[in-house]
Amino acid sequence: MAEPTRPRVPIKPGFFTVPDDPAEAPRLIGTKCLRCDEHFYPRRAICAKCLSEQTAEVEMEARGTIYSYTFVHLPLFGSTNMEHADGYGVGQIDLPEGPRVQAPLAGKQAEFQVGRQVRGELNVLRSDGAQDIVIVRFRPVEGSA
Amino acid sequence: MRDVAVLGVGMHRFGSYYGEKPNGEMALTAGMAALRDAGLTFPDMNAAYVGHIFATVMSGVRVMKEFGLTGLPIQRIENASATGSACFREACLAVSAGHYDVAMVLGFDKMTSMIQSSSAGTAPENMEDAILPAAFFAMWATRRMHERGTKPEHLARIAAKNFNNGAMNPMSQRQPTETISVEKVLKSRMVAWPLTTMMSCPIGDGAACAIVGTPELAKKLHPDRPVVKVLASALHSERYERGHLFQGPVVGPARMSIDASREVYEQAGLGPDDLDLVQVHDAFVIEELEYYELLGLCKPGEAEACIERGDFEIGGRCPVSTDGGLIARGHPGGPTGLAQIWETTLQLRGEAGARQVKRQKTGEIARTGLCHMMGGGSVCVIHILQRS
Repeated sequence: MAEPTRPRVPIKPGFFTVPDDPAEAPRLIGTKCLRCDEHFYPRRAICAKCLSEQTAEVEMEARGTIYSYTFVHLPLFGSTNMEHADGYGVGQIDLPEGPRVQAPLAGKQAEFQVGRQVRGELNVLRSDGAQDIVIVRFRPVEGSA
Repeated sequence: MRDVAVLGVGMHRFGSYYGEKPNGEMALTAGMAALRDAGLTFPDMNAAYVGHIFATVMSGVRVMKEFGLTGLPIQRIENASATGSACFREACLAVSAGHYDVAMVLGFDKMTSMIQSSSAGTAPENMEDAILPAAFFAMWATRRMHERGTKPEHLARIAAKNFNNGAMNPMSQRQPTETISVEKVLKSRMVAWPLTTMMSCPIGDGAACAIVGTPELAKKLHPDRPVVKVLASALHSERYERGHLFQGPVVGPARMSIDASREVYEQAGLGPDDLDLVQVHDAFVIEELEYYELLGLCKPGEAEACIERGDFEIGGRCPVSTDGGLIARGHPGGPTGLAQIWETTLQLRGEAGARQVKRQKTGEIARTGLCHMMGGGSVCVIHILQRS
């Protein structure tokens, strides 16, 4: 039986989607240039490559490969989740569309490797009354090492 | 454009002064020391440029009132870690353009107070603010290890060098009383793998000041002292390239340091081989390693071999972070770039005491120095100073 779901809200609006279905993965909200097709994350008004103002919001699947990573030996700032108390991974993720994203990683340090495929998931950072504040963390994909 | 010289320098030792020593007190110590060093008094100043990062409204002008109320133009400039360097640049440009004959550049900050009230600076609502600066630089190190086979020992050797240089600098925040070994650095607490506490700059407070003016004035004030000229100044911001990180711009594109250094070499009419000493933004040791290559002190991929040879230690081919760097001398913020000017000026005058740099081949006192600072990964400021 599925656990009763509490309403989930993003830590900051406009950066990623929070699907109603908890089984569904979040998507990253970025921008694509309608002239040169360069993609950006997070959103921006003017294309940083060709400086065109003809840009549109785009949702990108939260997945990619690890460009680099670290493991921080301090609690994740702002988190009351016990899993984050001993430290947390951080990665730079290259999305297939081009943007490089900096985000916390889920999993153990030994699982992180340059070039490894990762997938974004929503994690509860802390509770706020009846709702949960969520962030996106990228977790190494099984068997991708 | 006219030539510009450094007429005087002064510092308040960097350190942890939380709950004591307000900014005004540290700034006054550094500023008066620089005025005395120049042989000038405050009413001689045509203008003042104030570098203060964690600033409240009018804090630049307010601190300047401690020196006197002489009606001079005062500007506060902020560019994150490169704040002091950016102020220095503006003062040099103004003197060079002929607007002023002499200008004061003063930087001060209290990082300890900023950290104590840190919710102002780090809001968990911003994903990137939830990640420590150490993490961003650690990822640069991880990538380097992946591409070049860099070892934590290489990073630790840079840290040990800078601690041991700091021990010879009375203005250094970290002044170890025993020689720091690579092993000790590696055993210090892990912050963000592979960076340990001793591979990271400390949190601290302090002030530093430089007086800039015409070389003619420098000669008149101190006929027997060598004149230290500012040969080149460059400030670059980021250029877009695929893979650019728009969040948490703490490290910044490597290309900024390449572009800015090429510009100063061209302005000065010299190359990296002509440098006798270099100061860099070594907030974390991986930065210093990367800047060896980005500034052209060695070829890409050679940094590790150079570290093993001791090329960048005092007595080596081109000493780097001779005053301890951000790692040991400290990094309060606003004054950091001016501490580099302080160090380089003393070195070029031959007044750096136990850490004095001499040319490896001839034994001559160092003649040319470069100062490099990054600001929030978003700007790079470089100056070249030379004894004439």
